[in-house]
Amino acid sequence: MSLREALASGKFVITAEVAPGKGTEVEHLLEDAAVIKERVDAVNVTDLQSSVMRLGSMAFSHLLTEIGVDPVFQVTCRDRNCLALQSDLLSAWALGIKNVLALTGDHPVLGDHPKARPVFELDSVSLLDVIGKLNSGVDMVGNELKGTPDFLAGAVVNPGADNEAAMDLQIMKMESKIEAGAKFFQTQGVYDLDAFEKFMKRIEGLDTKVLVGIILLKSVGMARFMNKNVSGVFVPEPFVQEIKAAEDKAQASKDIAVRLIKGMKDLCDGVHIMALGWESKIPAILDEVGI
Amino acid sequence: MQDNTTNIKHNDYPPCKAACPILTDAREYVQLIAERRHEEAFASIRKLNPLPSVCGRICTHPCEAACRRGQVDEPIAIATLKRFACDGSWKDQYRGALPAKPSGHKVAVVGSGPAGMAAAHDLALLGHDVTILEALPILGGMLRVGVPAYRLPKDVLDEEIRAILALGIEAKTGVRLGEDIKLAELFEQGYKAVFLAIGAHKDRKLGIPGEDALAGVVSAVSFLREVNQEQNPKVGDKVAVIGGGNTAVDSARSARRLGANEVHMVYRRTLEEMPAAQQEIEDAVREGVQTSYLTSPLEILGKDGKVTGLKCIKNELGEPDASGRRSPKPVPGSEFSLDVDMVIAAIGQVPDSSFIAEEIEVTDRRKQIIVDGAYTLVTTQPGVFAGGDAVTGPATVVEAISAGKRAAISIDLYLRGEPFPSSESAEAKKPAMLSSSLIDKTRKFPRCGKQGIPINQRLKGFDEVDAVLSEDLATKEALRCLHCYMGAQVDREKCVSCLTCVRVCPLGIPATSKMGEITIDPFACQACGMCALECPVRAIEINLHSRGELAQQVEESAGSNQDGAILGFFDYHGDFGAGDVTSLRENHPSITPLFLFGLRRIDTSHLLTAFECGADGVLLATCRPDADPFPGETDRLKRRVNDARSVLDFLGLDGDRLQVVDMPERGLFDEGQITEVMKTITELGPSPLR
Amino acid sequence: MIIVERKSLEALEEMTKDCGRLLVLGCETCSAMCLAGGRRQVAELASAIRMERKMSQNQDEVIEDAIARQCESEFIDHVKDRVAGCDAVLSLACGAGVQTMAHTFPDVLILPAVDTKFIGSEAERGVWKEMCMACGDCVLGRTAGICPVTRCAKGLLNGACGGASEGKCEVGKERPCAWQEIYHALKRLNMLHYLKEKPQVKNWPVHPGKVVREDLREGEATTGD
Ligand SMILES: Cc1cc2nc3c(=O)[nH]c(=O)nc-3n(C[C@H](O)[C@H](O)[C@H](O)COP(=O)(O)OP(=O)(O)OC[C@H]3O[C@@H](n4cnc5c(N)ncnc54)[C@H](O)[C@@H]3O)c2cc1C
Ligand code: SF4
Ligand code: SF4
Ligand code: SF4
Ligand code: SF4
Repeated sequence: MSLREALASGKFVITAEVAPGKGTEVEHLLEDAAVIKERVDAVNVTDLQSSVMRLGSMAFSHLLTEIGVDPVFQVTCRDRNCLALQSDLLSAWALGIKNVLALTGDHPVLGDHPKARPVFELDSVSLLDVIGKLNSGVDMVGNELKGTPDFLAGAVVNPGADNEAAMDLQIMKMESKIEAGAKFFQTQGVYDLDAFEKFMKRIEGLDTKVLVGIILLKSVGMARFMNKNVSGVFVPEPFVQEIKAAEDKAQASKDIAVRLIKGMKDLCDGVHIMALGWESKIPAILDEVGI
Repeated sequence: MQDNTTNIKHNDYPPCKAACPILTDAREYVQLIAERRHEEAFASIRKLNPLPSVCGRICTHPCEAACRRGQVDEPIAIATLKRFACDGSWKDQYRGALPAKPSGHKVAVVGSGPAGMAAAHDLALLGHDVTILEALPILGGMLRVGVPAYRLPKDVLDEEIRAILALGIEAKTGVRLGEDIKLAELFEQGYKAVFLAIGAHKDRKLGIPGEDALAGVVSAVSFLREVNQEQNPKVGDKVAVIGGGNTAVDSARSARRLGANEVHMVYRRTLEEMPAAQQEIEDAVREGVQTSYLTSPLEILGKDGKVTGLKCIKNELGEPDASGRRSPKPVPGSEFSLDVDMVIAAIGQVPDSSFIAEEIEVTDRRKQIIVDGAYTLVTTQPGVFAGGDAVTGPATVVEAISAGKRAAISIDLYLRGEPFPSSESAEAKKPAMLSSSLIDKTRKFPRCGKQGIPINQRLKGFDEVDAVLSEDLATKEALRCLHCYMGAQVDREKCVSCLTCVRVCPLGIPATSKMGEITIDPFACQACGMCALECPVRAIEINLHSRGELAQQVEESAGSNQDGAILGFFDYHGDFGAGDVTSLRENHPSITPLFLFGLRRIDTSHLLTAFECGADGVLLATCRPDADPFPGETDRLKRRVNDARSVLDFLGLDGDRLQVVDMPERGLFDEGQITEVMKTITELGPSPLR
Repeated sequence: MIIVERKSLEALEEMTKDCGRLLVLGCETCSAMCLAGGRRQVAELASAIRMERKMSQNQDEVIEDAIARQCESEFIDHVKDRVAGCDAVLSLACGAGVQTMAHTFPDVLILPAVDTKFIGSEAERGVWKEMCMACGDCVLGRTAGICPVTRCAKGLLNGACGGASEGKCEVGKERPCAWQEIYHALKRLNMLHYLKEKPQVKNWPVHPGKVVREDLREGEATTGD
């Protein structure tokens, strides 16, 4: 079942994520993907995440299609102007890629080429708008296309905004994204059930699908790092303690993920698991949750 | 960049100068004292005033009343500083101007008080042949026979009179005009002009019963004349002095010194209205004089031809009269008696013009000589001029000196047959007031005023009650001056409205208009120098250490010493004396000192210029924050120094050639610290730019 | 106004060391106003260069001057003789001034002493903030007077990127998220609905730009040089 079909079917959708590395080595990533191939509806491929220069998202998405995985091609606005973005989208369609996740992208200063010139000519909203145009057979300025894609466009939302202004801005932007053609949302990693429930209440009535983000907590250090540096992600202290106390960290991590997914399963339309290399642990988690 | 800017001209005199009848430049000499240039301070005073030591002691100092510092905390002790400048040994170095070549005209000055003396002095300098005629056997007028020695020691007066006479002035004592010689005779004897400065020596009558009949009733003038001629007049045990002017206070204080146990000053209004100087009244009270305000005498009581008491009545103040003073009104039924055995009448004096009344016109009631216009001082008689108390009624020393000086100018013009200048419109300007926010922002420093000797030592005799300030205190006091009208002025042609001045002024003085014009209120500005320094286009000039002057000093000092020099900037606000400066020059000849009111006004470019001109090092000795009127600016200076150091480092000259030290609690520098600094600089070797 | 900042002495030394007789020339409008190019700064810089030359036995003279604006020929006229007497000019003007000078004196080497930073204003003494990048298509009317093109690190036009934490931009804790500022300002003005309008895309002008005012210019209207 493709992601489009899965979303349409109304089932609880499961997606995962892989991040190409620096260099041409792709084999082990493909292996990771193969492990979960049967258990997920789609796999996201990140686009130079954290602004670190890596192998491209389009190429790896294409490789995933070859092993029968439905990829979600992540596209950021950081490095390409509107010409490059549209061209890449057409290329991706030609390479068999059907799903796009439109993102603004991190600023280059956060990555390993901090002096790189940021582009951001478009942003997530205007990119979604452009995707809609391409789908309708014209480019951004209205020129007709010969051969038209039919992307399933998605976007992200961060339910953990740390103040009212940020939250309001998130929600307004989410509405703009839906307006501009986003059919599904994957969220930033969530650890706080109550906050997520509140968030879902606030967006009640929006006609879209929300896949809650789960980041596998691999260590205490990672929790602390995210609390400090990753906007909108907050790992509550009990989870940190649980990992700290655990003899088998992987087991504890899995337990937490299972509890989170169970807790949120009925609030939303699916789950997006960011395993960060622990893809092999995903099937067991899903087993335990019972999906 | 060549900076040829000269001093700007402010249109206004500083308040202190404007308030002085002879336009003494108080700001100038106060500043010279602050600069430890006491000899020049004396010269600044003496060049205008032939009686500086007298004024330093008893001048009523209208300058202090006008002093802008007075709006902030207390005025500068200008008069006390004048005395300091006049009391030091440095005054012996002073060489006054020499008389112009003889004009061949003889001038008679009648009366040897301050008016006569000042006129004689100036006329002699103008080359005229001056003779003073004085009715009394001694010279000095009221300064001699009125003001008691505890305020003005006789030798101080003697010395100043001697210096005046030394210009070749003849003084004839014991000659009373009108009695011993007539005015007309003077002209017959070849005098071409006469200046009448006969003062006001006749006490006004009390006009109450008992005044003329009883022994023990005296007039203040005659009482003080005796006191001053050391005739030790007998005083009663309990004395009433009637009146509220200086004469009354001096009579009362003299009576205490001569043994009176109880002295009452009886005055019909309140302390506030009393014409005597507040300081004098305070001193009198401290010396045990009792005061009865709002009290008028009704009758002098007596028995056996001797005074036994003074019957008085209490007053209340009514509506203000024509002079603006509220006139006293007796309260019915409030009569009471003071138990006294002597009454001194000191309710004012009039000129004793009876001797000359047939020859010259005087006013009816007050008997004052009539002059045409206060400025020219011509009387109704051609060639006859008059001034001082004789014209104004009892006034002050400095007004008398002013009259004498003006008379000298008029007489000189008259003798040369030149027209008198049209009378100066002495339009009294309303005093400008500082805003309360400016007052808040201005740092307060306590005044170091008169230093009195202890009360118990005072009453023993007529020794001077006030001691001269120490150099320390005098400089400290002088450093309180706000440098009125020495401050910043914007050249609107150059200004680009960058607002830097507005932002840097610690007092918030530069103001903006809607269209970007900058105005700096010259009255409010305290010449801290920050705006002139920071203005990027140099549109601001300032008189106190103008930029051009400072740059020139730096260039000259840095280039002057062939063996390489260390330029040392010191802050006048440090606690040091003239002697410290001398020993710095002797002990550390390689340091060329430059003194400033606040090192904050040194710019990076000044520092660089010093090195460009070949200095081996620059030393900045900042004063202690508690003495600095703008301590907040030192941080900016240090930032500029760091900037200059980085330039030196870049040039390979080494930033260590630039050193900032703190001035010590006392003295110019800390010997240990200086040695270390010198060592650092010397070790870096001679500057390659020499 | 235009904000400039003096280059390092090292860079200026390198630039001027072989250039011969040098005029250090201040520019007393923008450059002076941001305390980088007035005669005060000229004096300081010239002094440093003179010392540097003296120490490296370079005999070439360094002179100083300043004019109101180096981007206007009328002002430049006042120093043309001084410029003509020099091999090079070290200009403390912004890029516009330096180029106008270079255009006026094709035979003299005109060197920039400052880096032209941005259009901005003084935030506090000694601190200038970028406010505008002259993008040529002002959006402030939709953003409550806060420029997202300049002050949002990504120049976003359709709201916050989501990377902010505690109100600060993802690129650095010292800089506020412009979009959160815009949000507050719009909310105060009751104009939050602006954020819900259809996606905005910035028009980027062709550089170098040119403003032509037909009502003001003389002669034939052209867009060429
Ligand atoms: C007790 C006292 C205290 C004072 N204290 C102060 C003070 O603290 N500060 C201050 O500023 N002022 C003070 N004054 C006022 C000041 O002394 C006088 O205003 C000033 O001296 C006036 O100067 P003059 O030259 O006009 O007259 P005078 O000083 O009075 O001199 C006039 C001279 O003329 C002589 N004379 C008079 N008639 C004749 C004549 N016919 N022929 C020849 N000679 C004649 C007199 O003998 C006298 O020597 C005081 C006055 C008195 C009386
Ligand atoms: S502050 Fe100084 S200059 Fe100003 S009035 Fe007082 S003494 Fe004169
Ligand atoms: S600092 Fe200078 S240029 Fe700037 S506003 Fe003041 S006077 Fe004008
Ligand atoms: S000199 Fe000082 S006090 Fe006067 S206006 Fe300038 S900054 Fe203000
Ligand atoms: S955090 Fe705010 S200011 Fe920074 S890039 Fe994102 S939206 Fe712009």
